[in-house]
Amino acid sequence: MIKSASAALVCLFLYGILIIPFTTYLHKKPFVEKLGYVPSVTALKTVAADHKELVAASLVLKVLMYFGGLFEKADNQVAVPPDYMSMSRLLHGSVKLDPYNMDAYYFAQSFLTWDVKQYKLANDLLDYGMKYRTWDWYLPFFVGFNNAFFLKDYASAARYYQRAGELSGSDLSRLLAGRYMQESGQTDLAIAYLTAMEKKERNQAVKNNYQLRLKAFRETRRVEVARDRYREVRGAMPATVVQLVSGGFLSPPRDPYGGQFYLEADGKVATTSKYAFAGVKNLSKQKAGEPYERH
Amino acid sequence: MSTIIKITLKGIFRDRVFQGIMVTACVFLLIPGIASLSMRQVTELSLTLSLSLLSFIMLLLSVFLGATSLWKDIERRYTFSVLGLPLSRQSYLLGRFGGTALFVLLTAAVLGIAACGVVAYTSSVYPPDRPIVWGTMALCILFDALKYILLIAVAFLLSSFSTSFFLPVFGTIATFLAGGVTQQVYDYIHSPTSQKLSPVVKQIATGLYYLLPNFGAFDMKVNAIYSLPIPANGMLLTVSYFLVYVGILLSLAAAIFSRREMR
Repeated sequence: MIKSASAALVCLFLYGILIIPFTTYLHKKPFVEKLGYVPSVTALKTVAADHKELVAASLVLKVLMYFGGLFEKADNQVAVPPDYMSMSRLLHGSVKLDPYNMDAYYFAQSFLTWDVKQYKLANDLLDYGMKYRTWDWYLPFFVGFNNAFFLKDYASAARYYQRAGELSGSDLSRLLAGRYMQESGQTDLAIAYLTAMEKKERNQAVKNNYQLRLKAFRETRRVEVARDRYREVRGAMPATVVQLVSGGFLSPPRDPYGGQFYLEADGKVATTSKYAFAGVKNLSKQKAGEPYERH
Repeated sequence: MSTIIKITLKGIFRDRVFQGIMVTACVFLLIPGIASLSMRQVTELSLTLSLSLLSFIMLLLSVFLGATSLWKDIERRYTFSVLGLPLSRQSYLLGRFGGTALFVLLTAAVLGIAACGVVAYTSSVYPPDRPIVWGTMALCILFDALKYILLIAVAFLLSSFSTSFFLPVFGTIATFLAGGVTQQVYDYIHSPTSQKLSPVVKQIATGLYYLLPNFGAFDMKVNAIYSLPIPANGMLLTVSYFLVYVGILLSLAAAIFSRREMR
């Protein structure tokens, strides 16, 4: 009895010594390791038996948790580049297990396009989803947006928006399709798209991401409106954003990503951040004093 | 036989299996919280989790109740006293099976109500894009229960000739895993991608497909989760398949058990 109690006490003591370095090790474990690798989908299907939907959902949640963790770190000024490749692999695996899982499509759309710039990959995934989620207007809405905004394929965009409009019964998609056909108001459309996305978003990390981007696009739009007004009044395109501010057409715009707005040679409004914190970092590496305005 | 069914049910309740299930069912309370992590399909995720939990509990019940019921009776020598009564071995086996199957059905009903409660709560807080079809959900749970009753029949067949509980327990688990993928294997060997496979392998795989139970047919989770319609003829065929397959398994089990030498 005494021997057993002593052994238990020793074990508890050893546990106390071990648990702190053990927890620290797990906490600091590289993200790639934490996100893990998906075995072949065929193998997963076999092991999952009749719980394929559960396994798919758990893969999506794993990616969401991982991404949320990174966002929290970014809030604390710790920049850890997300492992987009693993995220994409996990989400592709999850839709093979459960082709109806909307979270997977939605999240893949959010980072494959804006962050990874894999528009074709995102569209292929969404096209795959459309075969199953035949009632869902979001998927054609996403593809429509990708085609128009990123790929500049307005004919395809209009086709997908038409489909989204038919499914949703809303005129918004048809309206967007019409505008895309005219290739005008890109910023307005991005704002409309991001507002729709942000409104229904429940995941705080993703919502914050959208809000930030939305803020940047609204500022861009403000500069565009001022630029157009300047042209109307002065009969010529402004050369710099400073001209707009000093002429009283615009209060100083603020890029939430930390960049500075400038006008390109054709008058297009751009920002040095390229709508990403990484853009500002790259810029800071450049020589001080380099002019932002490019003509 | 009805007496054996009643005794089996009483025995299961006496062993506090139902209380164990009720304790496990407390996990249902955590589901709305976990489901709220989803971005776009909270209700669908709560359905996925509820149905998977229900299915997992029934799997455990089928494996452990189905595979140990006969073995326990023989090991404790209950069979000597029971079979001394004017009761055929076949009736005894079928009674034991009936009692276990009834318990699984009862569990499915009780846990199904709990699952509906969880899903109703989640959908009231996070309304889904598509309305929940409660009838489809009920059918999904019913077909899940039928699948596990079929698995119990497999366990009884293995128990009818096994002298230890290892074969029934592990054999039932192996049958469950194999039965879940037979349809995928069948689809694969009949697709152009399997052209490189040897004809012998294809024939063996096809033979196993017809021999092993096809549990894929009973899986209607995706229909319940995403409110997809279930074809009526598919349901009819599946129920017919269930009746015929369980009939074959129980006939074989009864035939083997009646000739078994009791020691």
